[in-house]
Amino acid sequence: MARKAVIVGGGVTKFGVREATIFDLFQEAAKACSDDIPALKPSDVDGLIVCTTMAGRHSSALNTAPLVAHRLGIKPTSICIRLDTLCAGSNSGIIVAKGLVESGIAEVIMVTGAEKVYMPQRWETNYTQLATNDHDWDSAMGLGVPPPFFAMIAKMHMKRYGTTKEQMAHVSVANYNYGSTNPKAHFHPKTLTMEEALSARLIAAPFGLYDCCPLSDGGSAVIISSAERARELSDRPLVYIRGTGQHATHSMSAGWPGETLAEWPHLKRAAEVAYKNARVSPRDIDVAQTHDCFTISEIIEVEELGFCKKGEGGAYVASGAINIDGERPTNTDGGLLSHGHPFGASGARQSLELCKQLQGRAINQVKGAKIALTHNLSGTCAQHTVVIYGTEPVK
Amino acid sequence: MADLQTAKIVGTPALEGTYIAEMDIWPLECPEFNRNYQFYDNLREGRFTTTRCKKCGHTAFPPGVICPRCWSEELEWVDLPQRAKVVTFTETQAGAPLGFPLPLIMAWLNFGKDSPIKHLLGRIINCAEGELKDDDEVRLVVFEVPSHPIEVKRETKVCDRVFYAFERVK
Ligand SMILES: [Zn+2]
Repeated sequence: MARKAVIVGGGVTKFGVREATIFDLFQEAAKACSDDIPALKPSDVDGLIVCTTMAGRHSSALNTAPLVAHRLGIKPTSICIRLDTLCAGSNSGIIVAKGLVESGIAEVIMVTGAEKVYMPQRWETNYTQLATNDHDWDSAMGLGVPPPFFAMIAKMHMKRYGTTKEQMAHVSVANYNYGSTNPKAHFHPKTLTMEEALSARLIAAPFGLYDCCPLSDGGSAVIISSAERARELSDRPLVYIRGTGQHATHSMSAGWPGETLAEWPHLKRAAEVAYKNARVSPRDIDVAQTHDCFTISEIIEVEELGFCKKGEGGAYVASGAINIDGERPTNTDGGLLSHGHPFGASGARQSLELCKQLQGRAINQVKGAKIALTHNLSGTCAQHTVVIYGTEPVK
Repeated sequence: MADLQTAKIVGTPALEGTYIAEMDIWPLECPEFNRNYQFYDNLREGRFTTTRCKKCGHTAFPPGVICPRCWSEELEWVDLPQRAKVVTFTETQAGAPLGFPLPLIMAWLNFGKDSPIKHLLGRIINCAEGELKDDDEVRLVVFEVPSHPIEVKRETKVCDRVFYAFERVK
């Protein structure tokens, strides 16, 4: 049988405003990963993929991968690279790792992501974000922090499909309550009621405080290996990376692919590719991690991922489908809304939760979960990344 | 044990009067750094332009040095519409990136079905908070933005710059 890549396990640091350098966070993530896979030694890891966006500016670390390798005591022989797709960094890393493992180039790869977002003066974080959009065009229009852009998306979705603030609040309530059980989440142990969500202070109309994920410092690391090596490293059930898709359509607003901001055909396309490679359909997905940078994002994502009809995302989340007893529990570790979002670290954090779900050891365990999907959007919705996992490999 | 040598400096000494492009919110527009400097020269004359491919007819935005559809280098400068309709917009009262005055108003603009570019995110200036409405018509505004120095041999040349935004047609 052809070589199959699996996710063995991993770890995340505490997310939040951290009194730490980015290298402290990479070390903490590796330590958490080793706690999860006790048999793993630094010398077992032959490949390292380091996912970070801010390191070049906030930590003055442009050629980051060798620095991280040194701090982790890893001496890679197959691959040692930094990868930056902003919010999808470590999920992109997992796609690359799958290819390298299945082709035989690598055996055991650590995909790790971290960001040091908060700086000694607060303005610098927003200022850096001007460089995460198309700087000379959209950023020079003032597009830096994401809330204004996603607020326009929400206004458009409300106008076209009748989505309501109450429906959006169902997402924040679900995800905060999941996150309240997860000590690594930025806002742990905060729970949230509909009343609190709807009466929160305004951030950018129509978003209140709980509609927006915070930026966070944090790190994560997962181990991707061949099934054979995974059996040597851990006794847990194997979790296969069944299929992946990544689709980029534009760098700036003039290239927006949708009819309006409320349609995300580039996500639909990325998902189609991933479903095809994974040989599954949307209704096979038992548990999902979608990029809930804003409540409206999760609503549009469940539509474009095919979990409900286009335009019915608001009704879908309000029906309880995303809750633990619902038809497809989503963001069961608290998602970005409760964790916060250290860009390069979020994908591996999401993937670790799905690994745990498919191994039957998640905190908010979905009974009998066999197929799981994770999704990131990058930046101001310029790119979409989808990875599908399963307890069985694609035959 | 080593002695501690004390110093009372707050901030970054190297920044005294220095231009750092990576801290700049505006593009490098001059011919020394940008093959599409014509876009900014045209802006200075009140023209909103981009590049069109002479091979396949595709109009790209932003302008480039190849056609992103057929990769031809045979391009020409063409004018874009200067008026658009506001589809939806957002007003920021706090937390705008440094250098952008408040309120920072950004709108999703529709240039109409005859325009080679359908949508664009545009900053709306000369507009008070609460004034802008969906479906309002806006038009191009060109304004000067801070110059920057460049080193040419031993001389320092100053590059003047312009940028654009949109304002409400009253
Ligand atoms: Zn062409």
